[in-house]
Amino acid sequence: MDLLLQFLVNGVVIGVFYALSALGLTLIFGLMRVVNFAHGDFYMLGGVLGWFVTERLGLDFFSGLAIVAVVMAAFGWVIDRVLIERVRDQGEEAGILLTIGLSIVIANVALLAVGTAPLKVASPVSEAPLLLGPVVLTRGRVVALVIAALLVVASHLLIRRTTLGRAMRATFQDPMAARLAGIRTERVYASTFALGTTLAALSGMLLGSIYSAQVSIGGTVSLKAFVVVILGGMGSFPGAIAGGLLLGVVEALWGGYISTNLVDLVGFLLVIVLLLFRPYGLFSLRAERA
Amino acid sequence: MTFERNGLLMLGLAALLVPLAVHDQYLIHLGVMVLFYAVLATSFNLVTGYVGEFSLGHTAFLGIGAYTAAILSTRYGLPMWCTVPLAGLVSMLAGLMIGAITLRLQGPFFVIVTLAFSEALRLIADNWVALTNGPMGIAGVTPPVWIAHLDNVHATQAFYYIMLGIAAVTVYFAYRFVYSSAGRAAVTVRESRYVAQSIGIWPFAMAMQAFVLGATLAGVAGGFYAHYISFVGSDLFGFAFMATMIIMVLVGGKGTLLGPLVGALLVTVLQEYLREAQELRLTLFGIFVILIVLFLPRGLMGFVAARRASRKTARDDLATRKTLHGGAR
Amino acid sequence: MHKPSFDFSVACPAALRRSAQAVFLCVAAVGLTAHGAFAAEPIRIGLIQPLTGSVAYNGQADVDGAKLAVAAINKAGGVLGRPVELRIEDGQCNPANTVNAAEKLVQKDKVVSLIGAFCSSATAAIMPVAQKYRIPLLTGVSSEADLTEKGNPWFFRAAETDQLLARTFAPALIKTLQLKRVAYIGVNDDWGRGGVQEFQQALQAGGVQTVSTDYFDHGATDFYTLLTKLRASGADGLFVAAETQDGSILVKQIKELGLNMKVFGVGSWATSDFIGLAGPAAEGVYAAVPYVSTLATPQNTAFVASYTAAYKAPPGKYSAAGYNAVQIMAQAIARAGSTDADKVRAALAQTDYTAPNGHYRFTPKGQAYGFSLALVKIQNKTPNVVALATVSAPH
Repeated sequence: MDLLLQFLVNGVVIGVFYALSALGLTLIFGLMRVVNFAHGDFYMLGGVLGWFVTERLGLDFFSGLAIVAVVMAAFGWVIDRVLIERVRDQGEEAGILLTIGLSIVIANVALLAVGTAPLKVASPVSEAPLLLGPVVLTRGRVVALVIAALLVVASHLLIRRTTLGRAMRATFQDPMAARLAGIRTERVYASTFALGTTLAALSGMLLGSIYSAQVSIGGTVSLKAFVVVILGGMGSFPGAIAGGLLLGVVEALWGGYISTNLVDLVGFLLVIVLLLFRPYGLFSLRAERA
Repeated sequence: MTFERNGLLMLGLAALLVPLAVHDQYLIHLGVMVLFYAVLATSFNLVTGYVGEFSLGHTAFLGIGAYTAAILSTRYGLPMWCTVPLAGLVSMLAGLMIGAITLRLQGPFFVIVTLAFSEALRLIADNWVALTNGPMGIAGVTPPVWIAHLDNVHATQAFYYIMLGIAAVTVYFAYRFVYSSAGRAAVTVRESRYVAQSIGIWPFAMAMQAFVLGATLAGVAGGFYAHYISFVGSDLFGFAFMATMIIMVLVGGKGTLLGPLVGALLVTVLQEYLREAQELRLTLFGIFVILIVLFLPRGLMGFVAARRASRKTARDDLATRKTLHGGAR
Repeated sequence: MHKPSFDFSVACPAALRRSAQAVFLCVAAVGLTAHGAFAAEPIRIGLIQPLTGSVAYNGQADVDGAKLAVAAINKAGGVLGRPVELRIEDGQCNPANTVNAAEKLVQKDKVVSLIGAFCSSATAAIMPVAQKYRIPLLTGVSSEADLTEKGNPWFFRAAETDQLLARTFAPALIKTLQLKRVAYIGVNDDWGRGGVQEFQQALQAGGVQTVSTDYFDHGATDFYTLLTKLRASGADGLFVAAETQDGSILVKQIKELGLNMKVFGVGSWATSDFIGLAGPAAEGVYAAVPYVSTLATPQNTAFVASYTAAYKAPPGKYSAAGYNAVQIMAQAIARAGSTDADKVRAALAQTDYTAPNGHYRFTPKGQAYGFSLALVKIQNKTPNVVALATVSAPH
């Protein structure tokens, strides 16, 4: 029983992190119909910037977090306005190819800049273990978990309560109508992309403080995020969270009781099975038509 | 149609003559890789360009074909002229299975589920040590006996001509498919699904035809790869090959027959040329891809086709104006 | 949306090609000026290592060591009065890419010999290439045992095999760590699996029970599930085959979860990077390595000093491997008196090279012997040598 508890807690912790990194992707995927292959590289940039700000510039973790958020939001905004804007009306392949190219450039420029060594993001707390009954966690994980949860809530509030959020939801429902209602859809798209980028980068920094930040991690993260987004349904906020948690827990249980070798396979099998029976994800807000 | 046919014939002729003019083994090796990628890109183009759905799982068929040939060759000692067609056959079956599941979906769902298949296969290949030797891969896939006796340059030339033959067959099948009613029906499905359905075309069946044909051809290419490189690993299922295929088709122009061939040539040569730039190589390559998307969105051949169409329209306009105004103006 | 005009679309890719050419010219110019001091034609040696991808970190270390050796050799006058020039290609530890790289080095760059290619599967892929072109191939890293059993006369391995490491240190490990039940974790590639299997065999031969065997993928960051299983398994020892990146995270999480198993392993463990990343969790970890920076030989002291001066960090196992490989090759060319492939190969077979970590000699099959293997324990943030052994000539 203790073992099961530990596996569940492991799964939930990982699941929240999956959810956070997938949140940005589901917004971009769902709202802008862009399959963003550079998502994992934004995550990586967050980790690398986090290292730079905390280890090189010596700032504390939370100021670092704020700076990374601002820098990456600006970066995401610029990418959307300069690159994605141009191919928006050309169907999804242009977006795919563009983001693949972008991913290659970002990953290799980062490689040139910081090299191949794993980078440490200074954690705000010690790494000592924390015992909650039979379950082991660390302070670092708990703090990261709390920050991740706060970010999720903040994004939810942004989308539900602010004017920008309302504009985003309107554009998501019907871009033409939104434009007719006077919403500047280019700004909405750029803000959405910026928000997605920021969420990815912040999750990269948070996880960089628990594990380490590495330049080569982009591809793996993108794949996991895609799995979560499909599981939860494109564009669905609660779906991304549910999908992330589901993936985390299932992976932990599979790894614990069956085998750790094929843990990554679980996500892909889930996607295939799910798409056979519920093609639009668990929580999709709208059904797709041909 | 004539333009494409002439273009294909010219390329074919040039490809035939290359080994006679060039004796540098490295360049002939590059030629073999260009032909290999040309077949892969053409097979991928059948799915993306003529069905209109973006498949990220095409490497599944490449890998299945390569592993089939490798296992048949190393464990059962079958020669290359047996293993390569069998590789195509196994890939065809895989195409039927995977297509039956994935072609029910469209758009980004299709993209992700095909990706899920190729990643799942990669993980299985990496871990099912009994069948695939896991991450150690299958080494020592033998070339045909008569090639093994040749010296280096001639062996590579022999492989070149074998691959050229496979490429010719591939392009022929693709050509016949595209310019048949099945091909035209597939294009109709791509352009407008509802209209196609309204005139009695079953989109799923059309998509399956193109998909399975593409899978078979990719499998044959994989079988050849196994014998040429003599080593097969799980990286064949990986995203690197997929990205290369995508880039070649989109740079050359999807939905055209010449496009993938031009794309394969251009991208292979570019990748090798960029080796000179050492560390900047991949960065420059990524920038190249971005620039192509921004400025040549229909690819090179798409651009050429558009130019020819606009020139034809201009000519027609001029002719019309002349007749309307009763003389040169 | 206004479509760009014809000239712009065509000019842009052309401009890119021009910039690629400009980069090439810059690189060539720098290369030429660097060799301005020597009037003679350089001796080109091809080096294939993974410079991108998941093991790029270790491949880069190998290249750094190799470059240090080249600088030292050229400063002392080069080989046969000519400077040595390294032609480095990125094999990505991918057999197909490595074959491409080898073909390019031999055909285009006309290298005298090849050093590479780090991962055993990549090295295995270019062994036939070396034989085809009749050019010597030396690896300083690839440790899979059967590479030297393939009967390729052009291939030399200046490294230990997992089998050697396991057999040499299993008795010492069992005694020092009082091992009775051991769990095995390895990275899921040919090296990780090979290491786990060899140590499993060697330890089982010494009476140690195997509790479990698990593999993880490169870049896996969360080992909690795996470690939770191990905690419940009752093993008293844990064998790990991992490199710096994965190993440091694993070791940290072992401490976090409060596992008190004795941890020992192979890979780039006893390096300062590893200790820096793992922090206090690295204390008490044992590693079986062919090289560690705290080896107390005069050659090593000099090597560590010059490496640290150049790269601001002490060398690890792969840096030493790159350094040794280049030195062995250069000395062989000098001994041969020419760059003729057959003579260099014959000279390689007669190597007796004094390395920072012992002597390197080759058996008739091309396997090196005579160098040191060390069992180190990390104490007070330094790897201390606990046991030393010399690789004897295989019977």
